[in-house]
Amino acid sequence: MENLSSKYGKTLNLDKLTSYCPGCGHGIVTRLVGEAIEELGVMERTIAVVGIGCGGFSHHYMDIDAIEATHGRSPSFAVGYKLAMPENIVFTYAGDGDTCAIGLGDLMHAANKGMPITTIMVNNTVFGMTGGQMSPTTLEGQVTATSVKGRDISSQGYPLLVPEMMQSMAGVKYLARESVDSPKAIRKAKKSIRKAFECQVKGLGYAFVEVIVPCPTGLKMRVKDSYERCANEMTDYFKPQVFKDETEQGDVA
Amino acid sequence: MLHKCMFSGSGGQGSALMAKMVCLGAIKEGLKVVMTQTYGIEQRGGDSTAFVIVSDEPIGSPIVENDADIAVALSQSIYGNCFEGVVPGGTLFTNTSIVEEPGDAEGFEQVLLPVSDTAVELGTVRCANMVMLGAVLGKTGLLKLETVEEVVRESFGAKKPKLVDLNIEALRTGFAAVK
Amino acid sequence: MTQETLFLKNTETFAESLARCGVKYHFAYPITPATDVMKRMAVILPQYGGQMMQMESELAVSSALAGAACTGKLAATSSSGPGLTLMHEAIGFMCAAELPCIVFDSMRVGPGDGDILGAQSDYYVVTRGGGHGDYHTIVLAPSSGQEIADIMPHGVRLAYKYRAPVLFVLDGVSAQTTESTTLPAYNDYSAEFDTSEWAFTGTKDHAKRALITGSYTHQDGYEMNEMLRAKYEVIRNNEQMWEQEQVEDAELVVAAFGIHGRMCRDMVAKMRAEGRKVGFIRPITLWPFPDNAFEALPESVKNILVVEMNHGQMVDDVRLAVNGRVPVHFMGKTGGDQPMHTLAEMITEANRILGE
Repeated sequence: MENLSSKYGKTLNLDKLTSYCPGCGHGIVTRLVGEAIEELGVMERTIAVVGIGCGGFSHHYMDIDAIEATHGRSPSFAVGYKLAMPENIVFTYAGDGDTCAIGLGDLMHAANKGMPITTIMVNNTVFGMTGGQMSPTTLEGQVTATSVKGRDISSQGYPLLVPEMMQSMAGVKYLARESVDSPKAIRKAKKSIRKAFECQVKGLGYAFVEVIVPCPTGLKMRVKDSYERCANEMTDYFKPQVFKDETEQGDVA
Repeated sequence: MLHKCMFSGSGGQGSALMAKMVCLGAIKEGLKVVMTQTYGIEQRGGDSTAFVIVSDEPIGSPIVENDADIAVALSQSIYGNCFEGVVPGGTLFTNTSIVEEPGDAEGFEQVLLPVSDTAVELGTVRCANMVMLGAVLGKTGLLKLETVEEVVRESFGAKKPKLVDLNIEALRTGFAAVK
Repeated sequence: MTQETLFLKNTETFAESLARCGVKYHFAYPITPATDVMKRMAVILPQYGGQMMQMESELAVSSALAGAACTGKLAATSSSGPGLTLMHEAIGFMCAAELPCIVFDSMRVGPGDGDILGAQSDYYVVTRGGGHGDYHTIVLAPSSGQEIADIMPHGVRLAYKYRAPVLFVLDGVSAQTTESTTLPAYNDYSAEFDTSEWAFTGTKDHAKRALITGSYTHQDGYEMNEMLRAKYEVIRNNEQMWEQEQVEDAELVVAAFGIHGRMCRDMVAKMRAEGRKVGFIRPITLWPFPDNAFEALPESVKNILVVEMNHGQMVDDVRLAVNGRVPVHFMGKTGGDQPMHTLAEMITEANRILGE
């Protein structure tokens, strides 16, 4: 098979066989993160702090130093790392379970601290690695292994809108939700992810991008159907948008 | 050289400050010193006792267990504890301005001084603690008077220079009273 | 900073000793009786070019500590029982990940919220790992402000030599005691160690490094545990520390750590003056436990008395160390207005055992 590394630069390691399931949205997001790091020329000083779950695999496809943190704590790991080594670029990468179930407290306080850190939250509305259980972002009525009659909002609440929770935090300088449901959406996601890294390179403050992706395995759907769901039900509720972009200021770093 | 002390009084009488002056003075004289906070009944009712151990060797147990050789009672409510807390051969310093009926000391010495009245004559009742500390130094030789005067200068000098002369006068008055 | 003698609370001495031995980053969350450490760190660390960062919980504290430790730089935290319980997630992680750091537990009465009064009730949790899995942390138990200052360089060196968290434990009574202490001059002891071999500082001068404690194959988990087993064996063999006095001809040996260990010195002096053949052993490392001290006891020793500010925890390790050769007695209490046994009570119990 043709080796694509030369086309994508040094950051992405395409020699490694992917562990992502066929059709998984993580592959797209991982590539976009790798491209952003490559384009900004910060690969040698970038550290990935990844969560537990499928997002934890992401660093294997990038030739950068990485820390596999404890479940949900990657934002706090990143805070400690950035304090001790502010010259490095630190980003966290995890799914919706890690980021907004067990790790919501760590996430919100890291965001509110406003340190220059970048967080990528990959939202597929389900715990993928453990086999398709309900997550905080599971849609109303969505059937999962642990919401067998569909998510009941009377006891499980509504799907969590994470970037909306950060909107009022002044330390958050770039805030967006994107999707990978179409080539056009992916181009927009690429731009947002790059800005979220740029925000840190400039030393401006915290940056957060949620990316809506399909999980055909966890949702027990055909790949094509999972992308249609992504383009319709998922993005109807999780509306892609740039909430805040304060990156067009001068460098602080 | 080993002294176990208890400095007791009610809120605002400055027994903790007496203890701190002793501690800082001890360090100036190259001695080891330990201060522990009060536990138990002394914590209540606004009373407080500061326990201080001064030694020229490393200090073992930091706890004074009813074996103080120097005890100070500035108020009535704490007097009983001090009376019980003195070791045979020790000295109890009692503020007779407030403690109206001191007990009969058996096996230890009791120094009776109306330090609150003396302090009022000096200008303010608030320096009663320093009058008593002067007496403790004069009677026991715990530390040199000059050392504690130096501590007073360093502690009050920067922020409250007016208090320096008053407190030193109080120390000297107490010191002279037992000589 | 130069060497100087100050009158400090022992929590403040702990902060000063950390900063003077090279700690640049301190993460903490307020809790009695440990808060004075973070308060002092907030004031002094900027003078050393560092920073105290207050976090939103002890979970976040220990995670941030782990993140800082990944850079190879020296970081620390301070807490008390309930906070330590939360921290064990990342402490266990750091043991698996082989990350150096310093953790301070100012022990208070437990379980649950317990009481803010001092205790020694965390002996089990600090010497048995504390979280899930087969691991230990090195545990140092100084008994005075001076010992905190004197042992800190060794603590930092242990953390880097073995690339592992080092725990300091102090009962809250000692922690809140104020005393004269000679603090060391500034010296970054972590700088003696080359962290470029392992630290996660970016791929500028090394090939990709990934810190992974989870197993991708079953063999990964096996190998990680075998590595830890070998490391702990070395630590057990080489790092036991204790103080002992007058054990050589003793009939009764008193064993205690922390404040009770400190009280043993007075106890033995008083009882020897009355002709009683008493000695003491004061463990300084709680893990590794100083088994060697107990294995080497002379034939004269007929009884051991363990004194603790809990309901009997270290006594188990003493019993394991003597392995039935000598009867081991215990006295201990936790909580209450006087949260520990007095010297007089210790002497009474020792005399009772000697009279049996």
